[in-house]
Amino acid sequence: MKIIAARLALLALVLAAWEFLPRYGIVNPLLLPPLGDVLAMLGELLQRAQVREALGVSGAEVLLAFVVAVPLGAALGVLIAESDYLGEVFKPMLFIVFAIPKSIFLPMFILVFGTGFQQKVAYAAFTTTFVVLMSAAAAIESVKQDYLLVARSYGATRIQVLARVYVPSMMPLLLETLRISMIFNFTGVLIAEMYASRTGIGHMIASWGENFQMKQLFAGVVLLAVAAVVFNEMVRWLETRVSAWRT
Amino acid sequence: MIPAIDIEGLSHVYGGAEGAVAALEDVSLSVAAGRFTVIVGPSGCGKTSLLMMLAGLRAQSRGAIRVLGGPMPAPDPLRVGVIFQEASLYPWLTALENVEFPLSLRGTPKPDCRKRAGAMLELVGLSGFGERYPHELSGGMKQRVSIARGLVQDPPVLLMDEPFAALDEQTRMTMGHELLRIWSTTSKTVVFITHSLTEAVYLADEVLVMSARPGRIIDRIEVPLPRPRSYDMMATDVFGRLRDRIWQQIRKSEA
Repeated sequence: MKIIAARLALLALVLAAWEFLPRYGIVNPLLLPPLGDVLAMLGELLQRAQVREALGVSGAEVLLAFVVAVPLGAALGVLIAESDYLGEVFKPMLFIVFAIPKSIFLPMFILVFGTGFQQKVAYAAFTTTFVVLMSAAAAIESVKQDYLLVARSYGATRIQVLARVYVPSMMPLLLETLRISMIFNFTGVLIAEMYASRTGIGHMIASWGENFQMKQLFAGVVLLAVAAVVFNEMVRWLETRVSAWRT
Repeated sequence: MIPAIDIEGLSHVYGGAEGAVAALEDVSLSVAAGRFTVIVGPSGCGKTSLLMMLAGLRAQSRGAIRVLGGPMPAPDPLRVGVIFQEASLYPWLTALENVEFPLSLRGTPKPDCRKRAGAMLELVGLSGFGERYPHELSGGMKQRVSIARGLVQDPPVLLMDEPFAALDEQTRMTMGHELLRIWSTTSKTVVFITHSLTEAVYLADEVLVMSARPGRIIDRIEVPLPRPRSYDMMATDVFGRLRDRIWQQIRKSEA
């Protein structure tokens, strides 16, 4: 209880500092507009058709990239974890590629896909697939051999082993994967939009920054931060529900 | 009468042509229905391999296995139930759901699963614990659930691979005693692997002693102690002599 009170106090302190430091000129309000002004701007921005459209485009990009990358990465992860041969062959290369910052490939995506919707989806899906692949492989390898042996000894079919042993055993890690992949996915779309685009919330934030429109810029930041935190917390809530059996 | 388990000339070799390791060599044995047979032997003597082959979980290199008259090319839970070391319960299922697991794999209707699993939990002395998750149970209780799971499909043959090895000495003796009680009410054919000589003599009708790798059966010892067994029997001369004979055999085989 005390911890929670302290956490809330910290949050209040940060928000209060954001409001009052610029308000009294201790921090330059041109660089950091007061919280109240930012929130007022956020309300105003959400009324504008142009902003709503940009949000719709970005949302669609994020969703589509997610829908492409998660099954693709999961399927590849399963292949690598299940086949010793494929695992031995592909893992070293994947580990090396994983270490490369994916944003350096962005110019290539622009050359291939242009600066539109496809490019955002392709780039975000590309960055996310890697994360999903690695976590899915790790999740499968986390399933204890004993569990499989027990299922086999009771005559479980391959499908039953998958549905009754692999899936529940991996579920906590799978949700964790989902959560992390969404973060990567979101980041991918935003970076692609900020780099070269004509629409999308990332593009708007970038151009607000370039034009020194700090209230708009921070309003965009608040909006995206809230969206990311809400999704994160939703999946975390699911995680605690399905992993009640974990001590 | 056909023996419940019949093994003839069983050999097993691991690995390829160069790194081949002989795990079992010419093992033959026969277990009459309803008997309690215990296999003891030094670590790595292939006891577990033998059990896995009996369960249809591993193929042998040579020789024949017959369980209730038929070979075991694949697991057949209606003939053979297996109880593993460490209980191996699924942590995401409750005790009751763990016991139901084998039944539900075969599409048994839910109410029927519930009833039979509940009855098994009662048999192993765990009625009232069905809703607990494995991490909420003690080591001994987990192994009871595992036994209930092994018995729920009523297989005539029960294979047990060091089921009590992870338990403390006291729980281990209690569990052994409990197992005999359950066994006496179900008349199963049991093959039980252990490292503990006391456990072997206490539980068995017959003890088979295996040698170090490659595993062979080097002694068969009938245990003439009457049933039901009781803890005082451990203090008798007969008990001590049997345990000593097994010990000597194992030592000789390791030397």
